[in-house]
Amino acid sequence: MLIVENLCKSYGKLQAVNQLSFTIEDGSIFGFVGPNGAGKTSTMKIISTLLKPTSGRVEVAGVDISVNPGLVRGLVGYMPDFFGVYDDLKVAEYLDFYAASYGIPQAQRGKIAEDLLELMDLAHKRDAYVDSLSRGMKQRLCLARSLVHDPELLILDEPASGLDPRARVEMREILKELKNMGKTIMISSHILPELTELCTHIGIIEAGQMVACGTVEEIMRFSQLGSNLRITLLDRIEDTVRLLQEQASTGKVEVVGNTLEMPFTGDEREMSRILNLLVGQGIPVVSFAPSNSNLEDIFMQVTKGVVQ
Amino acid sequence: MGKMVMNPILSKELRTRMRTYKLPLLIGIYLGLLGAIALAYSWLQAQGLAADGFNPDVGPQMYVLLATLQLLLLAFVAPALTAGVINGEKERQTFDLLICTRLSATSIVLNKLLASVALIILLIIATLPVFSIVYFYGGVLLSDIGKVFLIYLVTALTLGVIGLFCSSLFKRTQISMVVSYLIVFLLLIGTMIITVFMRSAGNQQGLYTDHLPMVAYLNPLFALYSIFPSQGPGMSLIYNIINQGGPAFSLTSQGVALWKYNFICDAVIIVVLLAITIFRTDPVGRFPWFKRLFINKKGSEMQHEIPAAE
Repeated sequence: MLIVENLCKSYGKLQAVNQLSFTIEDGSIFGFVGPNGAGKTSTMKIISTLLKPTSGRVEVAGVDISVNPGLVRGLVGYMPDFFGVYDDLKVAEYLDFYAASYGIPQAQRGKIAEDLLELMDLAHKRDAYVDSLSRGMKQRLCLARSLVHDPELLILDEPASGLDPRARVEMREILKELKNMGKTIMISSHILPELTELCTHIGIIEAGQMVACGTVEEIMRFSQLGSNLRITLLDRIEDTVRLLQEQASTGKVEVVGNTLEMPFTGDEREMSRILNLLVGQGIPVVSFAPSNSNLEDIFMQVTKGVVQ
Repeated sequence: MGKMVMNPILSKELRTRMRTYKLPLLIGIYLGLLGAIALAYSWLQAQGLAADGFNPDVGPQMYVLLATLQLLLLAFVAPALTAGVINGEKERQTFDLLICTRLSATSIVLNKLLASVALIILLIIATLPVFSIVYFYGGVLLSDIGKVFLIYLVTALTLGVIGLFCSSLFKRTQISMVVSYLIVFLLLIGTMIITVFMRSAGNQQGLYTDHLPMVAYLNPLFALYSIFPSQGPGMSLIYNIINQGGPAFSLTSQGVALWKYNFICDAVIIVVLLAITIFRTDPVGRFPWFKRLFINKKGSEMQHEIPAAE
């Protein structure tokens, strides 16, 4: 669906995007992760034909963005991180305006707007003025706007930024719905745990360069942090530490109170074997689980030191 | 029916502009000013009527007065309607959303302009009843009023394009507003001062001529005055100022009325500024020939710079 090859973008001396290459397959959800100023927004704007790349090639569904930007605009639905709305338009008119701007015939526009408002749970706000909506509603309306022309590729720049927890959950539900509808989505976010359950692929960008890219599982495996083991005991801590250090699959054990935590390189079978071993030795195990390592940890590990 | 679809920008602009209290307020103030001056003038004339009897010059005088006033008001309104059109979208952060639709930059710019011009036409039409007071006194042809309105339209279009151009040139609406008013001021008053100065200097050196310097072609007021009969009663004051003690000049050159030259100048301004505005509006450009000539060259230079920077 999307091919990015050696993409560069510089603003004067600042190199925002540096030799960036990645692809997004049809129907996948690509999480685009990186610290502020890493070049996420620049990359997304280039793909949406809002910025001219300094060099490199970008293809959306086989169409080169610099050869035919007009066609690409019809294929891509873009939602910026910050956006404004027109004050004096009502919600339905707002969608109708953008649908018309994408060249959708008038006869179809009403139905499309109704369906999208239903999907975004905004149908009751149809006749409200756009600027009277809450931030979360505006965000959902903007997402609806990016869908009016049924784009092949959705580019969502921080769709959950500035939302309260409830609005964030609602946004996530909508994105899951879109995923089920088979949309190809490129989504950037700071809230990494949210991406873990939503995305099929992850790309981590820093200082304009891709530092890690692949399926969520690959990225998890790529990082040692992907499998920490956390064990809580009643007592016999020292025995347990000694026992664990004899195992090949566990690393250095850290002890905090009654809780032991260590890197773990084995699979689920190995995990079960260790649990059996501990219980077999009569060690009073209270809990035994892979620790909640997530993309955030990976992100912290992968991007460490590359900045500056 | 299917072909009668209005451009979404035009229909949205008209709808949102008509929706607020601002437009009726603008029309109200505009008509109030024009009407008050027309009534004040006719009241003053009526005061003198008892002594002098009917004055046949009142109609043409009032006509020149109203026409001048309306042109000045339009010069005030036109940039205000367009000078925040492009950068205003950027300030409200709606520009990206607009430009990533399938509307071309040309269509966006032209329809924004059209929406503003439509409002100006509405203003002009709204002033027709005020102009009809002139017919109460007589002495003015209907075809003259038609020509005057044509000049209004072309002038409003030119000043609107200047505002639009400034709105694409400057990031802040306040700055583009100030700069476009400055340009309008130069066109209206600046060119007039230069013309008067040049004639004054020419007359002192004995270089008497009945032609105006070329710079006068840019001035919409001269274009307007070239429509009125030069020996007419309404124009004596204006001619006295411009003549600067020299021989009477005419607002025609080689038999061609000055407003026609003015239209040519305006057409050039409109075409050039619109082209630049459209080009500046689309972030990635839709001029393949231009791209081949300049941008690709620049792009390949940049590519060489990157390894060096690392």
